[in-house]
Amino acid sequence: MKAAAAARSPWRDPVIWLAVPAIVYLLVLYALPLLWLLTKSFIGPGGFTLRPYIDFFADPFNWRVVWNTLGIALWVTLACLIVGYPAAFALARAGAALQIAMLIAIILPLSIGVVVKAFAWQIVLRRDGVVSQLLVAVGIWDEPQRLLFTEPGLVLGAANIFLPFMILPIYSVVKLIDPRLLEAGATLGAAPLYRFVKIMVPLTLPGVVSGVAFVFSMSVSMYVVPSLLIGDRFQTLSTLTGRSFLFMRNEQLGSTTAVILLAMAVGVVVGSTWLARRLGGST
Amino acid sequence: MPNSLTKFSRRRLLATTGAVAALGGFPSIVRAQAKELVIGGAAGFAPWMNGTVSQAFEAKYKTKIVYEGSRSLVNLEKMQKNKDKQYLSAVMMDDPVMIPAVQEGLLEKMTPAMVPNLAKLRPGTVQMDGMWANYLQPWQGVAYNTKSLPAGFPAWADCYEAKFKGRLVIPSLQNTEGVANLVMAAALESGKPIDKAQYEIDAGFKKIKTLKPNLLTIYTQIPQALNLLEQGEAWAIPSMFSSNVIPKEKESPMKMAAPKEGIFVGPAGICLVKGGPNKEMALQFIDMMLGAEMQDKLQPETFAFPSNASAKAPLGLAADVKVHNLDWAFVAKERGEWVKRWDREMAM
Repeated sequence: MKAAAAARSPWRDPVIWLAVPAIVYLLVLYALPLLWLLTKSFIGPGGFTLRPYIDFFADPFNWRVVWNTLGIALWVTLACLIVGYPAAFALARAGAALQIAMLIAIILPLSIGVVVKAFAWQIVLRRDGVVSQLLVAVGIWDEPQRLLFTEPGLVLGAANIFLPFMILPIYSVVKLIDPRLLEAGATLGAAPLYRFVKIMVPLTLPGVVSGVAFVFSMSVSMYVVPSLLIGDRFQTLSTLTGRSFLFMRNEQLGSTTAVILLAMAVGVVVGSTWLARRLGGST
Repeated sequence: MPNSLTKFSRRRLLATTGAVAALGGFPSIVRAQAKELVIGGAAGFAPWMNGTVSQAFEAKYKTKIVYEGSRSLVNLEKMQKNKDKQYLSAVMMDDPVMIPAVQEGLLEKMTPAMVPNLAKLRPGTVQMDGMWANYLQPWQGVAYNTKSLPAGFPAWADCYEAKFKGRLVIPSLQNTEGVANLVMAAALESGKPIDKAQYEIDAGFKKIKTLKPNLLTIYTQIPQALNLLEQGEAWAIPSMFSSNVIPKEKESPMKMAAPKEGIFVGPAGICLVKGGPNKEMALQFIDMMLGAEMQDKLQPETFAFPSNASAKAPLGLAADVKVHNLDWAFVAKERGEWVKRWDREMAM
C-alpha cells in the first residue's frame, strides 16, 4: 500500500526536478520582492498596521482611481473578446497557408515594444487620424473629432495591444473541437444560432475564460499605455503606484496601491481558473 | 635552521610582494583617481557634457569627466545610498531636489574662496548660502506651433481663451516646469506680481481649473508633449523649457515665445558632494561651469539663461524681458500637497 502511494507520488518522478531552476528563479526574483512589497504596506512606525488601507479607502478620489482601473480593464477585455472570438474561429478553420499568415499577423506585433505601439496609436487617434476619418466617411461623425486622450481612445489602443492574448487561448480550444459536432446538431434539426449557443459556446468557454484572465490581468495593471494614450488626468492604480514610488517617495502608499492592484488581478486569475476547471469538467 | 630560513624567506617574499604592490599598485590607484571625475546630472545634458564641457575640462586639467546622466531624483538616491562612500564628486540637479539633499547632509557648502566664480553670479543664483548655485538656467515661456499660430503667443493670459479648446498641453505638477503654470495662474487670478502671487496657490488652483476645457492632455514626458506640438494636434505648451524647443525650431514648426508677463528661469543647480572623491578637481569643475567663458560656450547648445553676470545676454530673448525666479524652498515644502490637489482638481 505504502509502496504504491510512494510510486504515485509526483516527487518520485525525476522529471519534476526540471522545474527547480524556474522555481528558484521565480522565488528569488519575484516571490521575495513581492513579499517585501506586501510587508511594506502593513508596517507603520509602530509595527503592524492597516492604516494605509483605511486611509486609502477613506478617500473618495481613490475609489475613483479603483473604478477607472476596473472600468478600463473591463472595457478592454470586452473589446478584445468581441473582436478576438470570431478571429479565433477564422484562424482555427483557415487553410494551412492562410493560418500561418494569420498567426504571423497576430504574433508579430508582440515583438514590437508597447511604447512604439502606443506612440503609433497617438497618430491613429488624432483629430486627422485614420479612425476619425473613417468615422466621418461612414457618417457616424459629422466632423473629425479627437479620440486621443479620451477613454474610448485608450480602450481602442489597449485592446489592439492585448488582442493576441485573447485570440490565442480561444484558438487553441477551437482547433480541438470536432467540426462534426455542429454537423451532428444540424442533422438533428438545430438552427445555426441554436447550434452556436448550445454547442460551440460551452465548448469554447475554457479558452474564453483563459483569454479573459490574460487580458484583464494585463489591462488592469497597464502603466505605459494609459500614460501615453490618456495622460496624467486619468489616474489608474498603476499610475498612482508609479507616482507614489517615483515622485512622492511614499513607499507605503505605493505598496498599498500595488497590493490592491495585485489582489484584483489575482482575484480574476484565480476566479477564472476555477471557472475554467468547472466548465472544463461540465463540457 | 633551514626551517627558520624557509620561514624567513616566506616572510621576505610576502613583504617584498607587499612593497611592490604598494610601490606599483597604489600610485596607479591615485593616478586613476586623479584622472577621472564622476559627475551626476540630467540625461538630456549628456551631449554637451560629454562634448564641450568634457573636452574643455580635460584639456585644461588633464582629467576625464565620467558623466552619469539620469534624473534629479535618481541622483539624489545615488547620494543617499552611497552616503558613507560617495563616488560622485559633483552633481547637477534641480533646486527642489537639492533641498532634501541639503537636509540629509549630502552636500558641502561652497564659498568664493573655494569657487571664485560664485562671487560673480547674478543675485538670487547662489542658494542656501552656497550649498549649491545655479549655472545655466533653461528659461520657460510658451512653446507654440508656428503653422497653427502664425501670430505667435503674446501673453500667458491667452491660454484661457476659448479658441484654444482642446489644443493646449501643460506639464504635470510633478514635473519641475509644471509649477510655473500654477504660479502664473495665481498671478492672473490675484492680480499680484509673480514674486507675491507664488504664495497665493489657492488663487492659482481656482484659475487653472478653468483651463480644463482647453487641455488636450497633461504630460509627464516632454518628448510626448513635443510630439503633439510638432504634429499640430497641440497648438501650444505653456511653461515648456527653452532648451527643449529652440534647438528644434529650424527643423520643426515650433517656436518659443517669451510672453509679455515674462519668463521663468529653471532651477538648474550644481553642487559639491560631501565626502565625494577628488574634491579639488570637483571644485575646479564647478568653478568652470559657473564661469562666463563656459556659459557663453554652452549657450548655443543649451539656449539657457546664464547665471554669471559677465556672460553674454541669452540668445533669442529681448534685453528687457521680465525674468521670474521662484521660491523653490517654498515649492519643495508644499509640492506634495499641491500634487495631490492637482490630481483631484485637474482630473478628467
